[in-house]
Amino acid sequence: MPVDDLFAPPGSAWQRVSPRLAVVRYSFVAVLAVVAAGGVVALALLVGGIPDWFLPLGLAVVVAGAVWGWWWASRSTRRWGYAEGEDELYITRGAMFRALVVVPYGRMQFVDVQAGPVEQLAGIASVHLHTAAPGTSARIPGLPAAEAARLRDRLTAMGESWAAGL
Amino acid sequence: MSTDDRGLVPEREHRRLSPLTPVVRAPIITLAFIGGSWQQIVNGEDIGLFAFAVLALLAVGLLWGLASWIRTKYWIDDAELRVDKGVIARQSRRIRIDRLQGVDIVQPLVARAFGLAELRFDVASGSDREGSLAFLPHQEALALRATLLRRRDDLRDDGTARTDTEQSAAPGQEPERELGRLDLGLLVASLVLSPEAIFTGVAAAAVGITFAVTGTFAVAGAILPAAIGLAIALGKRLTSYYGFRLTESAAGLHVSRGLTSLSSQTIARIRIQGLVLSEPVLWRPFGWAKLEVSVAGYASSESDRAQPSSTLMPVAPRAECVALLDHVLASSSVSSVTLTPPPRRARWLAPLSFWTLAFGYDDHLVVSRRGFFVRRLDVVPLARVQSVRVTQGPVEGRLGLADLRVDSPPGPVTVTGHLRADTLVRDQGEEVVVAGRTARRAARRIAASDPGSPASGPAKPGPAVTDPTRPLG
Repeated sequence: MPVDDLFAPPGSAWQRVSPRLAVVRYSFVAVLAVVAAGGVVALALLVGGIPDWFLPLGLAVVVAGAVWGWWWASRSTRRWGYAEGEDELYITRGAMFRALVVVPYGRMQFVDVQAGPVEQLAGIASVHLHTAAPGTSARIPGLPAAEAARLRDRLTAMGESWAAGL
Repeated sequence: MSTDDRGLVPEREHRRLSPLTPVVRAPIITLAFIGGSWQQIVNGEDIGLFAFAVLALLAVGLLWGLASWIRTKYWIDDAELRVDKGVIARQSRRIRIDRLQGVDIVQPLVARAFGLAELRFDVASGSDREGSLAFLPHQEALALRATLLRRRDDLRDDGTARTDTEQSAAPGQEPERELGRLDLGLLVASLVLSPEAIFTGVAAAAVGITFAVTGTFAVAGAILPAAIGLAIALGKRLTSYYGFRLTESAAGLHVSRGLTSLSSQTIARIRIQGLVLSEPVLWRPFGWAKLEVSVAGYASSESDRAQPSSTLMPVAPRAECVALLDHVLASSSVSSVTLTPPPRRARWLAPLSFWTLAFGYDDHLVVSRRGFFVRRLDVVPLARVQSVRVTQGPVEGRLGLADLRVDSPPGPVTVTGHLRADTLVRDQGEEVVVAGRTARRAARRIAASDPGSPASGPAKPGPAVTDPTRPLG
């Protein structure tokens, strides 16, 4: 099972993100699907000259998209994880395109904590780690607010101790 | 960036820009206007009105330039450069000298005719250029740059090395060693062998042939604009690389180049994040290569310029470029890094570039080779690695392959181990991380022990400058 080795946790186990992230994403997918379905229906009913097969086909596409979105939301949330190593932070993510990011604490420029309105309702936030490289995609979404604050403080502390030449 | 603060008395007498500045500025503004409305001139409509507008604009431009010149003052005290400017909205900008990453000298054509130059300041922030002084007499600009860079190094060394650096080297006369010089014939040949030139040639031939066959310029309308654009781009490259020269002094590497507009740039060695040696497919039969460098804090200013400011050698025989690369890296040689190719099954995902793919690392460097149309060798010192990533798409997963990516600050250099066997990638990634940690610690130890040692002398390569990508705790 090389794939599991490839994205295995560095120490004991990955700390997974909150399942509430999946709920937020499910609701996003549901809203999007409803809007798209409404658009398809409105187009079929209100615009003249549209062939009969348009409505069933359109709805089928919307349903397929929603199913895929649902699958993606659940899989991506289950796959997202992080682990705090001695000197580096490990992050793993990706439903189809999987990735493992290793960021040395000493390379951190700053840490962002963000929570949109829906995320705030769900009580989750995302932590984003920035280095001087834009390619470093070190983001952890769906952390419970308290955990996000703890992680931010710990990362900042680690970054400072590294910068001080430890 | 406070606004008008007359209350604060500067420590020293202010200085002014060259009084010729408005004279140089006005034609630039006018030319910009003419450039914007050339269509009207071509169509021959309202020439009288147009000429009047140009004259009026020239007058307004001169007046504006004069007012701007009167309002612009600058001061240099021990730790700060202060620039006040603005005719209507006053602006006072303070630049901390110890934060200066580089000072570039640029001479646009008109300014050059008057012997003037612009000084541009680059600070660690990386966002945009912190400011510029335009225009100063060329000699004064050179002297000012030398003063600023010397003061910066003194500030960073906490004044320990002040006495000996102040005596050494008259302003603008730092001891320089030439590392490379561009051969003009080679530059022209390399431009001829570029995709742009070949497209232009093919386009010209197509227009000629259709004219000969049909007697009309039917195709010209479609192809000509693109071809002219490409020809102009080529001409720009020729003029901007003309007289390219790379030298080295205590302050770092110096690049000077340009035909119509001279530019000179200083790159502190500590800011170098990586190098890339690229060989376009058309150059490969002749064994030519190009050497570029990623410099911290330069990337965004590059995007709004026609030419990347980070070219160390526009074109030279490959061996020469490799020697230059090794010299710039100083610590080790690229050729000593063992590169390993990906497994054969990677052919399916990279039919063309499979034969060039390779990746490897030693104690100092991490290196990758890739690309078919442009074969590139990316080199990043391990102490400069920002983060390491392993990525795998669905198809790669099926084939048992994965990519190993090394993240660097924005710039031309990205080390990527494409399509490695996924059983090895994880271990290799971890090894790069560990080696990077070790290299970073070693670099920090050297930086910590170096500035105090007077034995290193003024000629040592690279003064003790802090790593610009280090987080500012």
